[in-house]
Amino acid sequence: MKIIAMDVMSTGVIAYYVLIASKDGAFTPILSQLTGDVDPIAYADPVPQAVILTAIVIGFSIQALMLVGVMKLAQDNPTLETHAIEKNYTP
Amino acid sequence: MTILTIVWIALSFFVGFVIYLLPPLSRYLALAIALFSGSYALINFGQSSPLTLQLLDNFGVSLLVDQLSSFFILTNALVTAAVIFYCWNTGKKAFFYAQLIILHGSMNAIFICADFMSVYVALEVIGIASFLLVAYPRTNKSIWVALRYLFVSNVAMLFYLIGTILVYQANHSFSFAGFTNAPPEAIALIIVGLLGKGGVFVSGLWLPLTHSESETPVSAILSGVVVKAGIFPLVRCALMFEEVDSIIRIFGVASALLGVIYAILEQDTKRMLALSTISQLGFILAAPEVGGFYALTHGLVKSSLFLIAGNLPSRQFKELQYKPIYTPLWIALVAASFSISGFPLLSGFGAKVLTMKSLLGWQVIVMNIAALGTAIAFAKFIFLPQGGEKTTKYGFWSAMAILLGGLVVANGVYYEAYTPENVIKPLVTIGLAWPIYFFLIKPIILRLPRMLEQFDHLIGVMSLMLVSLFWMVLA
Repeated sequence: MKIIAMDVMSTGVIAYYVLIASKDGAFTPILSQLTGDVDPIAYADPVPQAVILTAIVIGFSIQALMLVGVMKLAQDNPTLETHAIEKNYTP
Repeated sequence: MTILTIVWIALSFFVGFVIYLLPPLSRYLALAIALFSGSYALINFGQSSPLTLQLLDNFGVSLLVDQLSSFFILTNALVTAAVIFYCWNTGKKAFFYAQLIILHGSMNAIFICADFMSVYVALEVIGIASFLLVAYPRTNKSIWVALRYLFVSNVAMLFYLIGTILVYQANHSFSFAGFTNAPPEAIALIIVGLLGKGGVFVSGLWLPLTHSESETPVSAILSGVVVKAGIFPLVRCALMFEEVDSIIRIFGVASALLGVIYAILEQDTKRMLALSTISQLGFILAAPEVGGFYALTHGLVKSSLFLIAGNLPSRQFKELQYKPIYTPLWIALVAASFSISGFPLLSGFGAKVLTMKSLLGWQVIVMNIAALGTAIAFAKFIFLPQGGEKTTKYGFWSAMAILLGGLVVANGVYYEAYTPENVIKPLVTIGLAWPIYFFLIKPIILRLPRMLEQFDHLIGVMSLMLVSLFWMVLA
């Protein structure tokens, strides 16, 4: 349950990055021959999008790792209540 | 120099994966990387001007290598080498060494990074690699400890990530230089992320359980260098900006005091060492100018103490009072404890003197109390009986030779410290500490509540820290 909550948090952060990158009426940052009266700098900022891609990948791999760990724990603690697990495994 | 730096930083990751392909060579490759890092750090000490690199355009990765980084890199290299020696004959699989070297490489990356995004990536790699190392025995307990670590550090890093984008928004660049242009919430978020990751003050209370319940070599490397990965960006920022410096100093003092109080009252050897790590991190942050040297000595001494504690006949101080320790082991233990208490002739002394010198007026009294507390806590180790049977292996002694030898050699870095008043002060501190230990601490057994170390509270406390930091930045 907590891992899902963490996933929601990281999705929130990703959405925030996209929000900062985007502007109203901005174009996708792809170099192209634009015609007419378009402002040449009206692009969405590509940098946050690029870096958040890294963060998404990292977040995903951490999710996967944690879920594997939790699956292993679940064999002996089927309810997966953190309080119970904590009591068992802290000295 | 530029090419050397890039080759060096890339090589450890490359070798980390190669180890998988060539399992029989794993130990040798790992050791070669550690030695390479060590020599790189030594070359760096010789360079007069810091090296700055800007890879890939304006938005790319920026690196900065200077004296401060050299100290941290050297610590990293020595501790990794010692851990490899310690594990030499323990039959660890190639997997272990691969993770160890990837961890080593990402820590090196942090110590030379000068922009927030690269630090984030490196910190996450550290988180994953140390998760795998802690979970290496694959018992339920170790998996739980590792999960808890990964969860806390990942949440801290999410806070950090939000701060990073705010810095970017204000500067259109991720470099450290634009830190103070960012809004106060960005500064608060980044600091809370790094404090959580580095294990400082109350947000660092995940640290005792993680460090004490992992295997001996893993806790040595976690306590010796991994926590410093979170500390290093803080020290960098504190050196660059006045207003950050004052906040960092406050946290340093608070952390030094909190850690030492817990450490004095602790009855378990490994937990005591982990708690004293919290307090020593406070010492590093309390005087960022000389943090590098302090980090070096602390890294060496703490990893040697963890390796020794793993070889003691028991983990409880109460039982250790009646179980004699093998004499050479006892000597190593006492030497390390003396160094951390700041006794002359070992480099812990020079580091303490330097730190005390660069404190601000209001810090001096508190930090002296913390130093006294450290001496009290380590008196527990010094007054243990000796003369027991041999319990150690050959690899252990080569690891000790590196770490304790490093301590004695590092003494030469700051030999100006040996003035009469400087020498007398730690002696007085220790002289005061031992009677206090005998008459006050030893008879009482007080169990401090561990409520704050519970999983839920760790996350809650992190959010509280965030709010208070926000007000501190605003003020």
